[in-house]
Amino acid sequence: MNLKKSSSPNQIKTPSSIEPPNSQLPPKVAALSSTEWLKANLFSNTFNSILTILSTAAILLIIRGLLSFIFNPLRQWSATATNMRLLMTQAYPEHQYARIWVSLGFLLFLTGVSLAFWRAARSVLISQVGKRLLAIGAFILLVTLLAPFSDRATIIWLAIGVFIAGTGFLLKSAQEDKTISSMTLLSGTFLLAILSLWVIPYGHHSYISTRTPKILAEPGTVAMTTKLPWTIMLAVTICSYFLGSLIRDKIDESKGKALLSMTWLISPLFLLFLVLRDPDFDTGHLFSTDIPIFLFFSIVGSLLLLWLTNPDIGEKGRVISTAVLFVGFATFLFQMLMIVRILTLVLAFFALAAPTFSGQKPARIRYTKVWIGTMVILCWLITAINTPSTAKVPGDFFIGGFAITLMIFFFTMVLAFPLGVLLALARTSKFPIFRMVSTTFIEFIRGVPLITILIFFSVMVPLFLPDGMDLTEIAAVTIAFIIFEAAYLAENVRGGLQSVTRGQHEAAEAVGMTNAQKTFFIVLPQALRVAIPPMVGQIIATFKETGLLAIIGIFDFLYIARSVIPGQTEYMGSTRENLLFVSLVYLVICFAMSKASQRVEKRVGLGER
Amino acid sequence: MTENETASSIRGDRDLANAQDIIVCEGVSKWFGDFQALNNVSATIKEQEVVVVLGPSGSGKSTWIRCINRLEQHQEGRIMVDGVELSNDLRNIEKVRSEVGMVFQMFNLFPHLTVRDNISLAPIWVRKKPRAEAEEQASSLLERVGIPEQADKFPGQLSGGQQQRVAIARALAMEPKIMLFDEPTSALDPEMIKEVLDVMKELALSGMTMMVVTHEMGFAKEVADKIMFMEGGQIVEIGTPEHFFTNPTEERTKLFLSQIL
Ligand SMILES: Nc1ncnc2c1ncn2[C@@H]1O[C@H](COP(=O)(O)OP(=O)(O)O)[C@@H](O)[C@H]1O
Ligand SMILES: [Mg+2]
Repeated sequence: MNLKKSSSPNQIKTPSSIEPPNSQLPPKVAALSSTEWLKANLFSNTFNSILTILSTAAILLIIRGLLSFIFNPLRQWSATATNMRLLMTQAYPEHQYARIWVSLGFLLFLTGVSLAFWRAARSVLISQVGKRLLAIGAFILLVTLLAPFSDRATIIWLAIGVFIAGTGFLLKSAQEDKTISSMTLLSGTFLLAILSLWVIPYGHHSYISTRTPKILAEPGTVAMTTKLPWTIMLAVTICSYFLGSLIRDKIDESKGKALLSMTWLISPLFLLFLVLRDPDFDTGHLFSTDIPIFLFFSIVGSLLLLWLTNPDIGEKGRVISTAVLFVGFATFLFQMLMIVRILTLVLAFFALAAPTFSGQKPARIRYTKVWIGTMVILCWLITAINTPSTAKVPGDFFIGGFAITLMIFFFTMVLAFPLGVLLALARTSKFPIFRMVSTTFIEFIRGVPLITILIFFSVMVPLFLPDGMDLTEIAAVTIAFIIFEAAYLAENVRGGLQSVTRGQHEAAEAVGMTNAQKTFFIVLPQALRVAIPPMVGQIIATFKETGLLAIIGIFDFLYIARSVIPGQTEYMGSTRENLLFVSLVYLVICFAMSKASQRVEKRVGLGER
Repeated sequence: MTENETASSIRGDRDLANAQDIIVCEGVSKWFGDFQALNNVSATIKEQEVVVVLGPSGSGKSTWIRCINRLEQHQEGRIMVDGVELSNDLRNIEKVRSEVGMVFQMFNLFPHLTVRDNISLAPIWVRKKPRAEAEEQASSLLERVGIPEQADKFPGQLSGGQQQRVAIARALAMEPKIMLFDEPTSALDPEMIKEVLDVMKELALSGMTMMVVTHEMGFAKEVADKIMFMEGGQIVEIGTPEHFFTNPTEERTKLFLSQIL
């Protein structure tokens, strides 16, 4: 086991393990001084000089325009500040807010531990940090000079800019090989930001929606209900990072990573339940029906699969699993709960795949564990979708704003991904029926605008549902998003599948693997690696596309900014301010995602064979 | 003469006369579209026999050897491998494939798996071995092909010769009765050819049934029990290395030998 540890992929990339130890360092290229750099890159000839001057002037003008918009005294920035809670969670009841903090805290805890386990920390050169700070300071100075600030504000901001630039200048000349961990840097930045909540008088704004809405705007630091939870959140993240680094070396790392990945996938389901559960949610149905069905399928299914994964079962196994499949189809002919039908069908697929994953005891037990895990997720999803008291929209909606945007985005990603892989496999499979169904589906979805699909699902689908089945609008549009994204992801995965050479297929076949084994162990892992960059692009696009929810009248982040806040009598003309804020949030998140994806790409060693 | 002596010492104490037939091809033909790649190929290979297939490029050597573990499907004739006839029945194919190991010209190692996992994957999932046992077997096979220290590397970090030896170990891990080699040294730099050929010689010595497509005449002379010469999708001549290299009967064989020797 210890040997396996050193095989973790990031080990390969350290060139020192490949190069002979006494290899010579490449000759150092002397760094250009800043005047030389300017000359070489911006003023190398007359034409370049003119271009440089013109574009600098244009950029300065744009910045100045933006600044005079932002700092115009007519701007109602208090509209955004006052309505922060509305933007984030909409009508979530204040006395229930602890649930949101607990959920967020848990996610941050997972983040901290994961960062430690995946060794996300890098060492950054201090002189590099200095250069960054210098640039930031210079930018602040520039902005201060351009912005229409009052004299006092100008002086304060000039001082801040000089301070940052000065710190940067000092650090820049730090010793060449001195480094700092990127984690220290990151937590330091957040620490400063959160400290500022306690010290700097941002003002205390709040919108109290009683029968006659009241707007609160007091000077001083932000409310205790803001700064205290955020401080705790930061502490949780940092502590969990240290905890992660501690236990990382104590336990088998690959097992820890697997456990973390599972927790990441499953926990949002339960957190969502924690956040969305109506305080007077009826648990009777849960105990009388849902849980017994779950237990029945878990136990009976596990026993069946344990038996079917016996390598010596032979023909009998195929007969039994085909029989289960027929029972699964037959359930649709009789009146019964949808959940029973779905679970029977899923059990049949597990049974059919059993010979592929058969083996000795540990392998068989692992297979049953996968079965139980699938049951947990499926039963939960079906329960959640069938429970009208979760996530009621619209009217007496329970949650909205940024929270709903994130929620829909998350579920889209988690479910569209496997669906996309399945579609891609079907489209490249040998069976013409699979190919045809999948190709038609993908081409159809890709030929229709997303907004059409969204409208169709939010308006039409509920009308077609059979009696007794209830689909909340949020669930309906999430499904719409899922199938739309799945079709696009499928095309990315298909590209990856095609990049796997014929030799790989033949090598897998030559050692006697079945088609399923070949796909699962050889083809998919390689295909997904190739597909990561386009898929991340797709994920970022999806995040931005959630803005379309505003058009079909779901109270998402954008809708609240565009329609709800300007509807408050006090903030009638504040649409532009809110939209600017919303775009800033989208920009920051998308930028972070694309940065993260670049690192992931490096990690999986694209281009390395 | 010295070469013949080493040859006989390698081929040594096997009793090929009484050995069972393990691969039987009867009138095998195969077309790619209108182009006939195999034309009525008939041959038998006995247990523990080492057969080298020679022939100019495009003569159908690869096609034939790939028909034997059904990477290609023949359209006429019969192929029997260890008593199982190759047909469209999936179960027969999987059974045959797990008994026939194959080594490719381009190695075809799985680039996303470590050397150890490359070797133990099929034993675990196809042969249903416990993981610990399969990994132990992988280690001993790596020892056998002479690279025990590379178990935790990825294929991309190995030299061509090392990769090909891992590929041989991967095929051996399935404990096959027959090993097929399709030009195993053609993609290698000259200095690495020997290390792979040495492994193959050791394998031949241990009594493995082998069918080898190669252009290494030294290997053919030294190790082969039988040489089959193909051209234009047909087997032109079958004989012992002595017969083949000293007095071939067919004109086309003579022409081929005069071109390469
Ligand atoms: N997949 C294929 N499709 C069409 N023609 C093929 C294919 N594979 C091989 N051939 C043709 O069949 C003939 C024999 O090929 P091959 O068995 O690879 O020859 P060798 O291995 O002896 O060089 C060649 O003429 C080749 O062009
Ligand atoms: Mg060939």
